Amino acid sequence: MLTESARMTTAQELSFRIQEPNSRQRAVKIIALDKPSAAMVDQLAKKAWHGAEFFTSLSFTSDKAPGSGEGEALKAWLGDLAGRTQDLVTEVEKSDFVVVITAAGEDARAVTVISDACQMFHKSLLGLVVPQDGTSEAETEVSLKHLRPHTRMLVVAHGVDYIEVMLTALRA
Amino acid sequence: MLKKEQNDYLCQTGPGTPMGNLFRCYWMPALLAEELPEPDCPPVRVKLLSERLIAFRDTEGRLGLIDEFCAHRGPSLWFGRNEECGLRCPYHGWKFDVTGQCVDVPSEPAESGYAKKIKLKSYPLVELGGVLWTYMGPPEKQPAMPEFEFATVPLNQTFSSKRFQECNWLQAMEGGIDSSHVSFLHRGDLANDPLFKGAAGNKYNLGDLSPVFEVVETDGGLLIGARRNAEDDQYYWRITPYVMPCYTGVPPRGDHPLHGHFWVPIDDESCWAWSYDYHPTRPLTEGEVDAMKAGKGVHVRYVPGTYRPLANKDNDYLMDRAAQKAGRTFSGVEGIGMQDASLQESMGPICDRTKENLVGTDNGIIMARHRLMRAAKALAEKGTIPPGVDTAHQKVRQAALLLKRNVPYKEGAKEALIAKKGVRQTTV
Repeated sequence: MLTESARMTTAQELSFRIQEPNSRQRAVKIIALDKPSAAMVDQLAKKAWHGAEFFTSLSFTSDKAPGSGEGEALKAWLGDLAGRTQDLVTEVEKSDFVVVITAAGEDARAVTVISDACQMFHKSLLGLVVPQDGTSEAETEVSLKHLRPHTRMLVVAHGVDYIEVMLTALRA
Repeated sequence: MLKKEQNDYLCQTGPGTPMGNLFRCYWMPALLAEELPEPDCPPVRVKLLSERLIAFRDTEGRLGLIDEFCAHRGPSLWFGRNEECGLRCPYHGWKFDVTGQCVDVPSEPAESGYAKKIKLKSYPLVELGGVLWTYMGPPEKQPAMPEFEFATVPLNQTFSSKRFQECNWLQAMEGGIDSSHVSFLHRGDLANDPLFKGAAGNKYNLGDLSPVFEVVETDGGLLIGARRNAEDDQYYWRITPYVMPCYTGVPPRGDHPLHGHFWVPIDDESCWAWSYDYHPTRPLTEGEVDAMKAGKGVHVRYVPGTYRPLANKDNDYLMDRAAQKAGRTFSGVEGIGMQDASLQESMGPICDRTKENLVGTDNGIIMARHRLMRAAKALAEKGTIPPGVDTAHQKVRQAALLLKRNVPYKEGAKEALIAKKGVRQTTV
């Protein structure tokens, strides 16, 4: 008589695997950290996604009146493709995980603000560094250095096509 | 998650398939040298990339890998007589040499030249590092011999084994680049296995169950760095090289030999999981070799007379629930190799990736699939030689090291990741 393992691992038995979806739609926020990556995000957003939301700009304002005497706390705002402005903290809170994209050689230091928000709500932060034509390894390394302390997964992605593949694989 | 057509694309390696064509660009391990130990020894059946072949070593020691079936009426040449520089079919006496050339058709006059018109398909078979390698692609595109370090160190510094794995090659290979499972599935073995225990680095694996990953493309494949927190403002990095299409290296532990794998498709529903152990600078000790032969480390114990693991799906992998409950093993299956194989086989002959839910830390797997598909497409459309064929891509080495937190591993481990003759591995 066949053991349970021998029987259950046949292709025939596996055809009985339940066909119902085993996961629900994720809320994935994809944020460009600089202008070149905003162009990539803009391009990606035109594809069909399962609820992923794309943001092409990150800006800051102070929530205290200048000269009020108290320490100024920054508020961060995300700009979406429709030109609307959304509160970063609210968007991170609503997310399942967050992806940041930076073009190698650009200033990626704004990731610290996103990282703080992710930590506050215990969300994973994934970082993608995309080398541009002509960017050096040293420039790529500077971008990695900015992202490294903040991300759970850091990837050097050669081209937008990999970002699309990755987001698809993650059911974004 | 992959679409079904993408999954099929990656998993099918038979003749004429895109991935089959990709695999046929490389030298692949076909047999252990011990399987053809001497001239005129018994021939061995070989199935690779969904092609049935027969391997033999002729009277003069030459190696042959030819179509398994006699060109006359089709019986298997496994029944053949290996004698006088050829394999003779016992049915009607047709005889073939190591190139597949028919050299004798007894029913026809030798002077007729009939035998010269019969030739079986053959592939080169070459011995290197205790392994017999074959190349199954177009002869005019045959690359230089492989230069993976485990195959080029002196024979007393290297040990290879293989195990039959009853699932598609890709789900097996993906286990080799999935560094995060070690802290769970193999945690019992870090303390107990003679080829793993005692390394200073083990405490970091056991102490930090949420490694942070960094994936970088290389010319030949990927580097997958996993970092865990360590004392004195340092990270403990374990760096896994992946060389396309199916070579992986496991980061080292202490002065134990380095190990890793080749994942070679037999057909679409089974593969050979090759496991190697080597030390770059010293002979393996008798104790180490004994442990490897006893199925420790990444090796397994066999059903006697075969390369099928003793613990297999026909005996429920000798599941030991008491050991699982007591924490001696995490899954109840003994041995690192079978812990991996049992779970990978349980996914079914070909894993249904339309149902998987990958997370960010699976980026090594996502990128490996992406690179494989990209390379197969470039080969099909433009004839581009894929990454990993160039022997320079094969001179990589796995590494484990402590680095200050502000030092990137690609920089801090730069020298450690290159295989250099006579230079010891970088390890903790």
